[in-house]
Formats: sequence, structure tokens, C-alpha cells
Amino acid sequence: MRGSTLPSEPAVRAVQADEVHTARQPLLLALLASELTLLFRRRRTWAMLVALAAVPMLIAVAVRVTAVEPPPGRGPPFLDSITSNGLFVAVTALVVCIPLFLPLTVGVVAGDSIAGESQSGTLRYLLIAPAGRARLLVVKYAVVAVFCACATLTIALAGTLIGLALFPVGPVTLLSGDTIEIGESLIRLLLITSYITISLLGFAAIGLFVSTLTDVPVGAMAATVVLSIVSQVLDNLPQLEWLHPWLFTHYWLGFSDLLRQPIEWSSLASNALLQLGYLAVFGALAFGRFTTRDVLT
Amino acid sequence: MVWQQSRWLPAIVAPAVVAAGVLGVSAASSVDLPGKTPEQVLALVAGHTVDAFSGTLEQHSELGLPELPDVGTPTGDDVAAALDLLAGSHTVRVYVDGPSKARVQVMERFDERDLVRNGADAWLYDSSTQTATHFAVPDAASGHSDMDPQHMGMTPEDLAARFLDTADPSTEVTLGDTTSVAGRAAYQLELDPRTEATLVDMVTIAVDGETGLPLAVTVFAVGQAAPAASVAFTDITLETPPAERFEFTPPPGTTVTEHAKKAEGDKRADSGEEPTTLGRGWETVVVLPAGSAPVDALQSPQLQQLSTTVPGGRLISTALVSVLVTDDGSVLMGAVPPETLLSLASGQ
Repeated sequence: MRGSTLPSEPAVRAVQADEVHTARQPLLLALLASELTLLFRRRRTWAMLVALAAVPMLIAVAVRVTAVEPPPGRGPPFLDSITSNGLFVAVTALVVCIPLFLPLTVGVVAGDSIAGESQSGTLRYLLIAPAGRARLLVVKYAVVAVFCACATLTIALAGTLIGLALFPVGPVTLLSGDTIEIGESLIRLLLITSYITISLLGFAAIGLFVSTLTDVPVGAMAATVVLSIVSQVLDNLPQLEWLHPWLFTHYWLGFSDLLRQPIEWSSLASNALLQLGYLAVFGALAFGRFTTRDVLT
Repeated sequence: MVWQQSRWLPAIVAPAVVAAGVLGVSAASSVDLPGKTPEQVLALVAGHTVDAFSGTLEQHSELGLPELPDVGTPTGDDVAAALDLLAGSHTVRVYVDGPSKARVQVMERFDERDLVRNGADAWLYDSSTQTATHFAVPDAASGHSDMDPQHMGMTPEDLAARFLDTADPSTEVTLGDTTSVAGRAAYQLELDPRTEATLVDMVTIAVDGETGLPLAVTVFAVGQAAPAASVAFTDITLETPPAERFEFTPPPGTTVTEHAKKAEGDKRADSGEEPTTLGRGWETVVVLPAGSAPVDALQSPQLQQLSTTVPGGRLISTALVSVLVTDDGSVLMGAVPPETLLSLASGQ
């Protein structure tokens, strides 16, 4: 599962521990910077981002080469709007990616965050430094959060570019039937990516917790991804309606409220609150587990 | 070991804090309103002067119809769309400025149905089919028409008006505990039908203590603990919405149709009969004359599934409303037990 940096990683960690040791003051930031460098030095990270970027490309090319215009209301939402406005490629791709591809990639990064270090034996290097386990946990979570934002932005950016290249672009028709100019629609797209990033934060916390439970990164990744699917299945059963507002996936598709006129902010607010709750609970669980765990023997 | 255990403390505290926050929010509804008699509250409703507001409504119905997984908006099928509106939950945004300007937005996950009324023009827009229908409102001066969203049973105000109109001696009106709706203190009127011949057990109407605007209507059916139907504001602002909210131009790429009012009038004239009502108050049964039930609607698989075959027609029985479509195409409906409809039909 590791990229090309695997052989040298213990060495990197040893040096890093030393660096961190000498530079006491900006400890958290230094650790964060080095963790981020590690994430983006990994070939796997780039492979996942490229795969995500391929989704809007595939959608756009498929719609472009097919002569038949998709009828309204068929296929993924907004698909029928693509031919008349390329800006909808990004939105369609985000809708397609949310249920599986985004949780899959975030699950890989989150599940690997602690368990990966544990398996490859690099965790002890990190803990030799006076970084403290709590701080390491915070940094690891921040790295996963950064990846959430990067993954979402990648889809939005790739979708916008391919949409500009293949389709006409003009004022965007919102769900309410009002039209907005291109500039404002790009702002809305940015809002949607922020919404989706926030949506993934609670899930990332769950992934981090699962990752502290095991030394097998693949297990942690799989468990995390499966949890997201289970949550989405439960969200679709009307018999469990009382449970729905508590599922971390419940508001994942609610970003369509940002495409109304005026913008309906309530789903963003409830979503943020829900994700904060999940972050608090699973962050605390991860803290409990990670700080009491014997990782040095 | 104490050090080890204290590390788990946040894991215990965090869920507790979350739970406390949730309970705190739901419990923060203590209401303080001056005491009033039911008559005074009824006068408050009748005398309210709120004619401009914007708000969000939560609509919910539990009619005992079979529930299916929500796989998105039903497409293309009118019957399915009507059933969808009838059953399940909807979030609706309402903007009202005076009697002739209103906008209603029924929000689905990836779709929206908009009803925009501005003076003499009214538009119905459906984003899922990208269609817009234009209605010419005949008497813009009076401000009241079929196309007026406020008079389409969408808002608590309209529903409350309907129930209060029937609040004659057949209804016992009492005042329940004060409540809080959309963060506003409200009186709660309780309408209890004085008859056993209806499916309606009780209707409660939450009335804003300050302005007298009805904020929520809940209908309870006989023999069902959960409300059979409810409409309530979750959020309301008593300010005039911006004028642009009531401006609608069909977006490019939309199929625009003109609503042909004349043609419908002709059809009515052809059949020569108007709907009639039997009984009064809560027991009212509306009878649509023979031939008014469209044949294709009857063939709809959804209706076939919901209805049962009875001697002389098909019957749809819900917790709150019974509908009987007889073999000759006349329709009987009312908030009465199905047996009432059957005996009425056989007696005709």
C-alpha cells in the first residue's frame, strides 16, 4: 500500500524526530508541514487525486460524444444540464463521487494515518520526539482534513476545466428557476466544495479512530469505507427515520440547497453541527485509545 | 493506572456534552404568554394583520399509505407526483408580500417546484422536468384566485382558516398548553369534532401570541398516535421579502406552456355538473359527478396498488381521508370512514 518513499521512510522519520526535537517552539506547525510533505510525496495520494479528476473527465467526454441529449430527470442529477452549460460538469461529478469515490479515498488516507505508521514501525520514531501523542493525533487529523479539501477541489477544478473546454458556458439556472452570472456560479461551486469538505470531516474522525485500533492499515481503510456505506444504506430505509438526522452521511447530498435562490443555509448549518459532534466523539475516542495504547514494544 | 484511565475521560465527556447540547436545544421552549380564553384567541386569529413574511414550512403526513424507499423525485408521472406531495415529508419555503405577491418553493433533494405569483401573472416551475407553466390571474385586483399560493392549502394560515370556518357548534374549541413554534411563543387551539362519524380525532392550531398568525396546524386521526398531517413553520421572519423574489422569467432551455383556462371551463360545461356536497361540518362528503375521474389516472399502477376493489368501484382508504371511485367514474371523498362512502354510493 505504501508508495515509493517506503524504504527511506524510517530514515526520514528519524531525521524528522531530530528536527522536531531541536525546533521546540513551532512544534505543531513543523510536524504538520512534514506530515503534509509525506502525504503529497506519496505516489498513492496522487494516484487517488488523478482517479478523482478522471470522473468529471469521463462524464464530460461521454456526454460530448453521445449524440443523444440526456432527457431531463434521467441519470445523475444535473446531467441533462451539461450540454447547455459546461459549469454543471463539476456539480454532476461531485454528486457521482460523494457516495463512494470520495469516502473511499478519504478512508484510505484516514485509515492509514496511525495504523500505517504502526505497521511500518515508524510510529515509535514519531513518539520519541516530544511531540506528544495528542499533538500527533491532531496533526494526523489535520492532514486527513487537508486531503478531504484537496480531493473535493480536484473534482471541482477538473470538472470546471473540462466543462469549459467541451461545452458552452453561460449564466447558470438554479433549481428555483432563477439564473445567476458565471462569476457568482463559480462562488457557489466553491461553496459546494466547502460543504462537501465539511461533510467529510466527521467521517475522517471516524477513520482516524478506527486507525488507532489496529496495526493493519488495510483493515482500518476497509472498515472505515464500509462504515460510510452502512450509514448511507441506513439513511435510505424509511423505517429508520428517527435515526436519519444522526447519521454522518445524512447531509452529504444536501449541498443542492446551495443551488437555490436564495441559498438555503439550514442544511449547511445542521451538517456542520453534526460533523462537529462526530469529530468531538470520535476524536475523544481516538485520543483515549491512542494515548493509552502500548505502541513502543 | 489512574493516568491511563483519565485518558479515556474525553471519550466519556464528549458524548455527554453532545447529548446535553441536543437535550438543551429541545428543552429550551419555555413559553410565557398572558392567559386568554379560546374566544379571545379566535378573535386574535381573525384580527391578525400580518400580510408580509418569509419562512420555511415543514410538511409531514402519515396517512397509513405504504412507505417505499425514497429514491428521488417521481418523474413524469402526474399521479405519482400528486401522491408524493400527499404522503411523506416536504420542506417548503414561503415568501409573501401582500395579497398579490407570493412565492412557494417545494424543495426536493435535487429538484424544486416553484410557484410564483406576482400581480396578474403566476408561474409554476418544475426544475426536474425543466418546464414552466404560465397562468393569467383573472382578477388581480381582488387578489384571491385559485393560483394564490396562500389559498392552496400550503400555509398553516390557510389550513387554519379552513378548519376554523367549520368550527361551528359541531366543534368543541378549547385552549391547550402554550407552545413554541419557530422560536415564537404561541397559543394552541384544540378543535375537537363533536361527532363520531369522522376520521378526524382532533386538530390543533398554534397561534402566534404576538400577531395572531397561525404558525402550525396538526391533524390527528382516530386511532393513530402520530399526527396524520402537520404543517408548521420551522423558521419565520415577519419582514417584507425583497421584490426580486417575486420576479420570474423562464430560464433558457425551459419548456413554457400557457395554461388554457378556457378549455377547462368548456370541459366543465360539457359534463354539465358541479361537485356537490353531502352532510356538513366534519362529516362533509364531496361528490364529483360521473365521468370526472380520468380513466388513465385510474389505470395508474400507483393507484391500483393503493386502492382496493369494493362492490361498485375502487376504494382508497387512508387514516384521514377516504376516496371512493365508482365504476361510472364519479368520485366521493371525505374525512369519513369508508363505510359511509359505500352506503352513500349504494343509496344514490
